[in-house]
Amino acid sequence: MWAFLGSDVMFFGAFIATYLVYRGKSLVGPYPSEILNIPVTSVSTFVLLMSSLAMVLGLHYVREGEKNKGTLWILVVVLLGSVFMGFQFVEFREFAHLGLTPRTNIFGTTFFILTGIHGAHVTIGVIWMAFLAYSSHNGALRADNALDLEIAGLYWHFVDIVWIVIFTVIYLISANDGPPPGMESITH
Amino acid sequence: MASLWRKLTHHDGNGWWNLPHTASNEPNPPYEGPIGGAWLGNILRILTHGGVSHPGPAFYWLVGLFLAIITLIEVWLFGVGGLLGSWYIPLLLILSLMKFVGVVAFFMHLRFDHRLFTYLFGAVMVVGIFIFTLVLLLLEFGNQPPN
Repeated sequence: MWAFLGSDVMFFGAFIATYLVYRGKSLVGPYPSEILNIPVTSVSTFVLLMSSLAMVLGLHYVREGEKNKGTLWILVVVLLGSVFMGFQFVEFREFAHLGLTPRTNIFGTTFFILTGIHGAHVTIGVIWMAFLAYSSHNGALRADNALDLEIAGLYWHFVDIVWIVIFTVIYLISANDGPPPGMESITH
Repeated sequence: MASLWRKLTHHDGNGWWNLPHTASNEPNPPYEGPIGGAWLGNILRILTHGGVSHPGPAFYWLVGLFLAIITLIEVWLFGVGGLLGSWYIPLLLILSLMKFVGVVAFFMHLRFDHRLFTYLFGAVMVVGIFIFTLVLLLLEFGNQPPN
């Protein structure tokens, strides 16, 4: 799993680098300063961080053989992961209504590809966790084979740390990015 | 109150800071992970009361609280970003790095695993950051016309 995560670091790193390379080079709007909603994204970031906490608690209780608590915390991971996906869906729809799609400008292209691929990772993680919650509930996931959950947990935490970087780079640092000097938004 | 104090201070296998009654409730190997150095190792030994292979739920709640607080500070910095000038981005990057290390070291338990995993993950991070920095520098300065 660590080797896979290493390869995924390079994978996401390429998209983050691409975003940085093209940052501030969109010739038409909407620009990040017109569209990003930091308070809402902060809440979704908090939700994803807390899902990582639920993940380690789930692993802890499965290791201890406390089946019900383990299942409960894995279900919390599924719930919080789903809430995060909901936030992303609403955000994407809102951006589309405001005129930002992957084809609108270079910001839209790099933004949707990076956050979309991250969202796909979250979706896979939620499905994986749902299976593990079911396994824990019916007794197939126990303390002696908790390594299955530990490996899934590594994947889940990795998705979390990728979002930590995305939140900082795209949302907090780029949130005030407007048109390049001398340009005006001609979208609206 | 006495019960709370006992849970926080006694290492009897039932405290909040350690894993009770499982096969993993064995003393840590003498190995200490490379993240954090001796001072962090000492703090962890105090929190886990001698060191068990993984900390207990209370320790994870503390880490979660730490991550939430840093996120709040980030959002607050965003609100007052104009006052910070050129310190704004470095501060955000430092806070982001703290969250990153918090999750990797404790939630992904690299702090408690064999150091091979830390080196594997760390090496990829270093190579990745080096390559992307190089790309950014080339794009920034590579197209400059010769003097």
